[in-house]
Amino acid sequence: MRARLAGAFAVAALSVLPIVWMAATALKPPGEYVSGSTALWPRAPTLMHLEALAAARVWRLGLNSLVVTLGTTLVALAASLPAAYALARLSFPRRLDMAFLVFILVVKLTPPIVLAVPLYQVLRGLGLLDTLGGLILAYQIYALPFAIWMLLGFVRDVPVAYEDAARIDGAGTARILLDIVFPVMAPGIAATAILVAVAAWNEFLFAFLFMQSPSGFTLPTAIATRINEDETLWGQLSALGLLASLPILCLVGIVHRALTRGFAGGLA
Amino acid sequence: MGAARLRLLLLIGPAAAILCLLSVYPLARLLVLSFTDSDHGLAGARFVGLENYAELAASRSFRVSARNTVWFTVMATASEVLAGLGLALLFDRAFPGRRALTLALVAPFVLSTVVVSAVWRAWFHYDIGFLNVALRSIGLPGVPWLFDPDLALGSIVLVDLWQNAPFCFLILAAGLRAIPPEVTEAARIDGAGAWRRFRDITLPLLAPYLFIAALMRSLDSFKLFDKVYAMTGGGPGNATETLSMHVHRLAFRYFEIGLASAAAIVMIVVAALLAGLYARALLKEGAR
Amino acid sequence: MRGLPVRRSILALAAAASLASALPATAQERLVIAGRDAAFGQALAKMVEAYQAANPGVRIERLELPGGALYERIALNARERTRALDVVMLDDIWAPEFMANGWLADIDRLGGVQGAFVRSADAVSRRTADGPRFAVPFVGNVAMFAYRTDLFARHGLARPASWAAVRAAAETLREKEPGVTPLAFRGMRGNPIVTGFLPILGAFGGAVVDAQGRAALDNEAALAALTYFLSLKPLTPRGIETWNATEVREAMEQGRVAIAIEYWPGWAGTLDDASRSRVVGQVALIPAPGETRGPAPMLGAWMLGVAADSPNAARALDFIRFATSPEQQKRMAIETGNPPALAPLYADADLVRAYRWYPAQAEALELAQPRPRITQWNRVEAILGEHLQLALIGQMQPREALAEANRQIARALAR
Repeated sequence: MRARLAGAFAVAALSVLPIVWMAATALKPPGEYVSGSTALWPRAPTLMHLEALAAARVWRLGLNSLVVTLGTTLVALAASLPAAYALARLSFPRRLDMAFLVFILVVKLTPPIVLAVPLYQVLRGLGLLDTLGGLILAYQIYALPFAIWMLLGFVRDVPVAYEDAARIDGAGTARILLDIVFPVMAPGIAATAILVAVAAWNEFLFAFLFMQSPSGFTLPTAIATRINEDETLWGQLSALGLLASLPILCLVGIVHRALTRGFAGGLA
Repeated sequence: MGAARLRLLLLIGPAAAILCLLSVYPLARLLVLSFTDSDHGLAGARFVGLENYAELAASRSFRVSARNTVWFTVMATASEVLAGLGLALLFDRAFPGRRALTLALVAPFVLSTVVVSAVWRAWFHYDIGFLNVALRSIGLPGVPWLFDPDLALGSIVLVDLWQNAPFCFLILAAGLRAIPPEVTEAARIDGAGAWRRFRDITLPLLAPYLFIAALMRSLDSFKLFDKVYAMTGGGPGNATETLSMHVHRLAFRYFEIGLASAAAIVMIVVAALLAGLYARALLKEGAR
Repeated sequence: MRGLPVRRSILALAAAASLASALPATAQERLVIAGRDAAFGQALAKMVEAYQAANPGVRIERLELPGGALYERIALNARERTRALDVVMLDDIWAPEFMANGWLADIDRLGGVQGAFVRSADAVSRRTADGPRFAVPFVGNVAMFAYRTDLFARHGLARPASWAAVRAAAETLREKEPGVTPLAFRGMRGNPIVTGFLPILGAFGGAVVDAQGRAALDNEAALAALTYFLSLKPLTPRGIETWNATEVREAMEQGRVAIAIEYWPGWAGTLDDASRSRVVGQVALIPAPGETRGPAPMLGAWMLGVAADSPNAARALDFIRFATSPEQQKRMAIETGNPPALAPLYADADLVRAYRWYPAQAEALELAQPRPRITQWNRVEAILGEHLQLALIGQMQPREALAEANRQIARALAR
C-alpha cells in the first residue's frame, strides 16, 4: 500500500513537474531563466511577463479561442450525432457504412499539413479566410471523424428496446432521436463534446495558417509567435502557455471523467 | 427515393457534406498534383506521370523519413501502452489521494503541443536545460538529447510518452474496471499467484482495450509533425525527420509541390490500409 | 428530462453567439502591414503608433510574423491575389523573386521615395542598376562578427584580421581560458547555417552561383571555405548542430562563448543590458574578416514595399515615406536598436554614443555582399543548408557534400 502510494506520487510528480517549471518561469526575470539552475522557484519573482501580455491585450485572443472552441463543438455535435445514429442503427446500401467509416479514418489519418494548402484555397473561395467562422469549418476536419467515432460506441449502448417501444407507439425518427436516444446518451455526448472542445482549444496549425490578422489569432498561435528568429521570449511564452492551459487544467477533473466514460462506454 | 433512403440521407448528409468539402477536393488536388511537376499549384504544372513516385522510391531522404516514422510509431506506441498498463495497474487499488494523483497524472494530456514542445525544448538544452543541470547536480554527465543523431528521435519519443501515456492509462484503467472482481477472486481462492492471475485472466480480458489503445496511439504517431517541427526541425541531419516533416519540407522549403503531393499520397495509402483493418474490427465489435 | 428545454435554449443561445461573433467585421479606411516580429516588430509598432496618432482616420492592422512565415504569407497572398496586404516588409533576398513575379508596385510610378540610403541596400531595392525602385530600404542590417575584447586583451590577442587569425585566437582561448568555449555559430539546418557560412565562402573567394547564374560550389575555393568551417567545430560547444539565434545570443550574453562569427546588430542591444547580460561593455562588433579575398559580410537589409494588388497604395506609400524619414529612422535606432537605412545617420553623434559599433557597421555596410540575386534562392538555400549540416555532423565528406549540393542547386536553377 505504501509502495503503491509512493509510486503513484512519484509518477504524478513527474507528470506535473514540467507544468510547474513553466509556471515558475513565467514569474522569473530573464536573468534567471537563462542562468541554468535547477531552482524551480524564482529568486526575484516578477510580473513583467504577465504585464507585457496584458499590454498586448491577450484576453482578446482568449476570447477568439473561446468562440472557436464553442462553435466547433456545437457544429461537430450537430452534424455527428445524426450521422453516428445512422451508422449504428440503419442499414446502408452496398456496404456504404463501411466505406464511410474507412473514409472517416483516412481523413483522420491524413497529416494536417497535407490538407492545409488546398483547404486554404477552399476557405478563400468561400470568403471565409481570416474569419473565426472559417476556422470553425476547417476544424471539422479534426472534430467530425473523432466525434462520429466516439458517438458510434455510445449509440450502440442505448438499448434498442427503448427505440422499438417508441416506434411501436408511432414516433418518427426525429422524435426518437431527440426524446429517447440523445437523452440516454447524454453522458457520452458530454464526454465527446469536452474532448472536441479541448482539441479545438489547443489546435495550432490551421489557426496559424488561416488567420491572417493578429486580432484574429487564437492562444496557441500567440504562444508560437513568442518563438522568433532572434530570440525566444521564455518568460512570456511560459506565462502565455500557463494562461492557455489553466482553463483546461481546471477542468481536468471533468475531462478525466469524460475520457473514462468515453472508454468504458465506447468499448463495452 | 424511399422514405428509408431519405431518412438516411438527412441523418448522414450534413456530416458527409462537410467532410467531402474539406477533404475530397484537397485529396483530389493532391492526387492530380502528384503526377505533375509544379512549384505552386495546378497553374503552370507540367505532367510527368509516375516520375515523382519513382523519385521518391529512389530518394535516400524519403526512405530515411519512412524509417524514422516507423521507428517512432513502434517505439512511441509500445512505450505508451506499456506505461499506461503499468500506471493502470498501479492506480487500480484504492489508496489515499488517488483521485488527486490521478488528475495530476492526466494533466499533461490536456496541454497544447505548442506548449509541450516549447517546455521540453528548453529542458533538453545541453548546457542550461533543466534535465542536464539536474543530472550534473548529482554527478552524472549531461546527455546530448536533441543533437546526437542516435538519441534525438528517442528524446522526442520521451516527450510523446510524457504527454500521451495518460491517454493509454485512461483506456486501460477503464478496461481493468470492467473486469468482474469475482473472476480474479475465484482465481485467487484457487491458489493462482499474482503473475498467473495477471497473465491468464487480466491480460486476455484487457486485450480489446490494449488493442484500441495501441491502434489509436499508432494512428496518431504516424502523423507526427508538431513536436519535431518545434524541437529539432528534422535535424540533426535527417535523424528526426518523419514523413510529415518530409512532406512539409518538400512543399514549403523546396516548393516541389508535385513531389510533396506524391509523398502525401503514399502516406494516405498506408494510412488507408491501417484504417481498413481498424474499421473492420470496429464494425465487427458492433455486430457482436 | 425536465431540464432539456432549458438546456436546449442555452445551447441555441451559445450557438448563435459564437456564430455571430465569427462573422467578419465592417470596414473603414484600412491599412494592412505585413511585417517581421522581434526587434523589427517593435520598430514597426512604434512607427504605426506615431503614424496612427497623426492620421486618426485610418485603421492600421499589423501582422507580426517570423521570417519564413512572413515570406509564405506574402507569397500566398500575392499568388492568390487576395488584395489583403498593403505594405509588405521584405528581406533583400526575396526582392528578385517578388520583383520578377510582379508582386511589388513600382514605387517611382506611385510617387517615389527620396533618401540618402546606404549604397548596398539601395542597390537591392531596384531590379536593375538604374531601373525603377520597387522597394525602399528600411533597416540597414548586415551580419557582423562579435568577440570578447576583455578575453582577447588578457591573452594578448589582436583584433582578428583574417579567418586564419580567428581560428588561431580560438585555439589559444581553448587552452588558456577553460571556463569559456571559444567559438559559436548557428549550426541549425537551413537558413541559420547558410548565413553563418556565406561570409566565410566569400572571404575564401567562393560563391554559390557565378556571374552567369550557374551553380559554382564545385571548386577549390568552396572546398577551402567548407574545410575551414568544419575545422571550427572542435572549438564550439556540444550540440552546435541545433543552435539557432537564441542559443548563440544567450551563450554570448552569459559569457559562455568568446567569439560569435555571425552576430546581428539587432541582437547587440541586449549585450549592454545589465539585467540580462554578464558581459556589459566587453563585446566588440566588427565587420567579418577576409581571407584570400576581402571581407564579405552578408547583407540582410529589410525593405518596405507596396503590394501590387494593394487596395490602398497611396496610403501605403505615405506610410513608407514616413517610416523611412530621418526623424523616424533615428527614433527607431534609439528606441529599438534597429540599424537605420540612411547612411548619414551612422555618423550621428547621439546614435554613436548609444551604439558604439555603428562606425564599424557603416564600414560593414559599405563592404556588404548581398546574397545571389536569383529568384530561386529559397530553394538553393534549403539545399545548401541541408548539405552543410550533413557535412557538419560528419555524415558526408566536405567534397561530397559540395558536389551533391552543387548538383541539386544546378537542377533547381534550371527550372
